[in-house]
Amino acid sequence: MIKKDLTLEYTLSPGWMQPWVDGLLKGVAIARNCQSCGHKSFAPQRVCSCGCVEGSWASLSGLATIVRQTKGADGHFAVARFEGADNEVVVRLEGFGPSDAKGILKVPPGAVPQIILSPLESNAE
Amino acid sequence: MVAILGAAMTKFDRRKDGSSFRDWAFEAFELALDRSQIDRSDIDFLIVASESDFFTLQLNPSSILSSDLGLGNTPSVRVEGGGASGQLAVHAGVNAVLSRQARHIAVVGVDPSASQLSGDTIRSLYGYSFDAWTDGMTGATSTVLYALSAQVFMERHRIDESHLNQITIQNRSNAMANSFAHLGRKHSVSEIVGSPVIASPYRRLHCSPLSDGAAAIILSAEDAVPNRRRSAPRIVGVGAANDNPRLGNREDQGHFGAKTKAMKKACSMADIAPKDIGLAEVYDAFAGAQSQALFALGLSHEIRRETADGRFSPSGELPVNLSGGLLVQGAPVGATGVAQVVNCALFLEGRNASKLQPSTPPSHALADTHGGVCTNSAITILAQPDAA
Repeated sequence: MIKKDLTLEYTLSPGWMQPWVDGLLKGVAIARNCQSCGHKSFAPQRVCSCGCVEGSWASLSGLATIVRQTKGADGHFAVARFEGADNEVVVRLEGFGPSDAKGILKVPPGAVPQIILSPLESNAE
Repeated sequence: MVAILGAAMTKFDRRKDGSSFRDWAFEAFELALDRSQIDRSDIDFLIVASESDFFTLQLNPSSILSSDLGLGNTPSVRVEGGGASGQLAVHAGVNAVLSRQARHIAVVGVDPSASQLSGDTIRSLYGYSFDAWTDGMTGATSTVLYALSAQVFMERHRIDESHLNQITIQNRSNAMANSFAHLGRKHSVSEIVGSPVIASPYRRLHCSPLSDGAAAIILSAEDAVPNRRRSAPRIVGVGAANDNPRLGNREDQGHFGAKTKAMKKACSMADIAPKDIGLAEVYDAFAGAQSQALFALGLSHEIRRETADGRFSPSGELPVNLSGGLLVQGAPVGATGVAQVVNCALFLEGRNASKLQPSTPPSHALADTHGGVCTNSAITILAQPDAA
């Protein structure tokens, strides 16, 4: 058998997604606003479904409503809609109980842009 | 029309016998070539399907395999389209024949998705099959994303875990007749519901295994089919379409919309309707994905009742995944879509080694593959030569 250990350390440039990534790393939800139709996307769409390629960036409140969720050995995840966004996004849930229906974006560990929600109540505490 | 002169695959398995993906590709290719009844020197194009260099630790695998397969100066190319890599490679072959770029093409799909890296590493890599910068970085696995999509479909069609269990049991039963299948035993309902929840509603036994293996077909232009292979099945329709890779950006997260579009294209090219399909190998990476596929393909309009009534069982009106599908035959990604075509071709020709080989093969069969959560869909329709 050939035993080969390969360690890869990527340094990824976010490119056009830089504002979104910067926001996530600070726990701030930054949405992409379509210049033509005003559609607000989080996670951002570079080209809007209306076909417009121009857009700007704007902060959202960071509050999100759980649409549906899944739980198991792979973790606790959900489809959520951020307040002010017109689309939905897959998020990781941390500390959510059965009755928690809303959450707020959390600062992720490390320098990896992760979309993690904490339950709204515990965050307020 | 494009003829499938030869079709073969290795057993899908977690190989621990010291063989490599290069051996598996060779084994599948040699058998397909033998069945094609043409010479190695007749092959004028090699198309390799392999999803990831992470699996093989081989960049430019098509050149290596071209050499290993003894194809000399034959041009080669590698096709990648996530889980749909194999089927898209078949499409590339069909397009090359129809555009007269080549007359005899070898399509070889291969991936070592089980034995070369740990299961956790493979599953982590699969997590980057979607949008790596959103879903991937957040840690959402393939099972998580499929589960979130399945929930929408299940609610809409009023199906529950018993439906998932029935599909799992049926496909496992089918695979018992297939000596090339990865998993070799049946499971009871109690074993399925006793297996751990990976991402609700999916339990471990509702998920396809990580497999090693290869599959190969030899395609031929119609005017280059040797007389002794006039009975070879034909590819009469191909169709592909994409959906948004991010589930949250889709208007309908439970519907595999790309399949509907791809099926329409494939049926249009084949000049048939979905009702004409008599046998199907569909992409069941997870139990619920099979039903999502059948509905999106227009092969079922009442998925709950038709599944319960056995319409998709071996004796039903439309046998589905006689091979056992990805759920049980296995899923070495690059090989998966090619193997679906291999199974369909051999079933149509009446020479599939499965004990479920229909005594009277249907006129048309369908192979359906996708990457992501049906982000990119690829469909191939095969036909008996007299129906083509």
